[in-house]
Amino acid sequence: MTRLEFKNVTVQYPIYNSRGMSLRNQLVRIGTGGRIESEAGHVSIVTALKDVSFSLSEGDAVALIGHNGAGKSTMLRTMAGVYAPNAGEIIREGRVATVLEMGAGMDMELSGYENIIRMSILMGVSMQEIKDRISDIEEFTQLGDFLNLPVRTYSSGMATRLMFAVTTSTRPDILLVDEIFGTGDADFQEKAKKRMEDLIASVGIFVFASHNNELVKGYCNRFFRVQHGRVDEISRDEVG
Amino acid sequence: MASESRYPALEDLRRAMGNWSIVRFMALSDMRARYKRSVLGPLWITLGTAIGSAGLGVLWSELLKVDPKTFVPSLTAGLIIWQLISGVLTDSCSLFGRQASIIRNMNLPLSIHPMQLIFKHVINFGHNIPIFFVLALFLSVPMNFNTLLFIPGFILVSLNLLWICLVVGLLGARFRDFEFMVANVMPLLMFVSPVFYRPNYLPFSENVIWANPLSYFIEVIRAPLLGSVPPVFVYQVILSMLVFGWIFAIWLFNKKHSRVAFWI
Repeated sequence: MTRLEFKNVTVQYPIYNSRGMSLRNQLVRIGTGGRIESEAGHVSIVTALKDVSFSLSEGDAVALIGHNGAGKSTMLRTMAGVYAPNAGEIIREGRVATVLEMGAGMDMELSGYENIIRMSILMGVSMQEIKDRISDIEEFTQLGDFLNLPVRTYSSGMATRLMFAVTTSTRPDILLVDEIFGTGDADFQEKAKKRMEDLIASVGIFVFASHNNELVKGYCNRFFRVQHGRVDEISRDEVG
Repeated sequence: MASESRYPALEDLRRAMGNWSIVRFMALSDMRARYKRSVLGPLWITLGTAIGSAGLGVLWSELLKVDPKTFVPSLTAGLIIWQLISGVLTDSCSLFGRQASIIRNMNLPLSIHPMQLIFKHVINFGHNIPIFFVLALFLSVPMNFNTLLFIPGFILVSLNLLWICLVVGLLGARFRDFEFMVANVMPLLMFVSPVFYRPNYLPFSENVIWANPLSYFIEVIRAPLLGSVPPVFVYQVILSMLVFGWIFAIWLFNKKHSRVAFWI
């Protein structure tokens, strides 16, 4: 049973300036009673999500839409369990996979093949399963002999292909995707779309943050608008 | 993996144990990546240590006017153990920062990173320690039952380094200048530790050396390697460091566990 539930979740995080990041400045501040280095401890608190509640279950494909900085990525990271909430409760049942940031879990010095193994291991896939999937990944990425070269020699489009192929080669229960596969040529876009559709059909819960309204309308069946840390569910027509 | 438990630090450590295959893979994979482009591969470490201790051994035995036959093995063992300790301490500062792409993207326990770091340095140590044994054979260092005591000593040191790595890693993630502080303090700690000399070479101020916690780590491994039993107080200090260190580390980790992803 796959389930993802937020109950009154609030996520706040501190932004330290360079002085706040310095131990020396902190010590000076304590030593002088805060009189000299008055700026040293200045910390801004950003409330990225405020009192958010919703419940997702098997079959939900959710689109997160909103401006840059509206809190979409924070939302995805909180869903994934990377960010812990300051208040509220999250119930998460099922194996989570994320496609949030380019190069997550990749090591640029290692070859394409070694990175396939590395990323898969990090995602909790067993060695045997990886062996079974390698041919599928080879086929999808079309990188050929490049898979024997270090990833640092890849163009960003090639790295995207590899990352996308590896992440989507597992069948997670909950898949969280940030808008990263916008890169790549038209041919790749077409293939990625096909693969994405297959994947969405097989995962329990799919959450996708994007600015591309046409794309989300094609993939998703529920739509959340994120703004100023609040989340409102809207209808398909309101997406625009 | 449902809701957050009340003791995130313990929960995190428990999950990290469950992910042992990730820890092992990452440590080995980092090693591979690092020596990918060199012919000798990880043997560079061995060669570097061998050359270093040979050169320093000859020079310093002249300077300190001690017999190279006893001095060189002692120095070699000291340098090898010091490499382990200082390597862990210096690498720990940027530990979480270096793994940011994993921490910010995957819901994996944080403590796999200290474990992986210690594991990596233990492998390094495994590359280096044969030099000592080769040397010991040539210079006929006494090998007896006491020699085997270096194994429990090594385990005690590794467990201590693990909590130190966790604490230093957390501080390094929060304070960006902590790294430079550690880099500055390390040489000083080396000079007031028994790397270059056995504590009994210094008749006047043995106590200075025993004020440095790292000295105990060196002695508990080196004394057995040179065929003698470490003094009891060395074990006492190391065991209390282990207990109190872990209590402190878990308390700190418990408090700051959920903040790390925001710091890096």
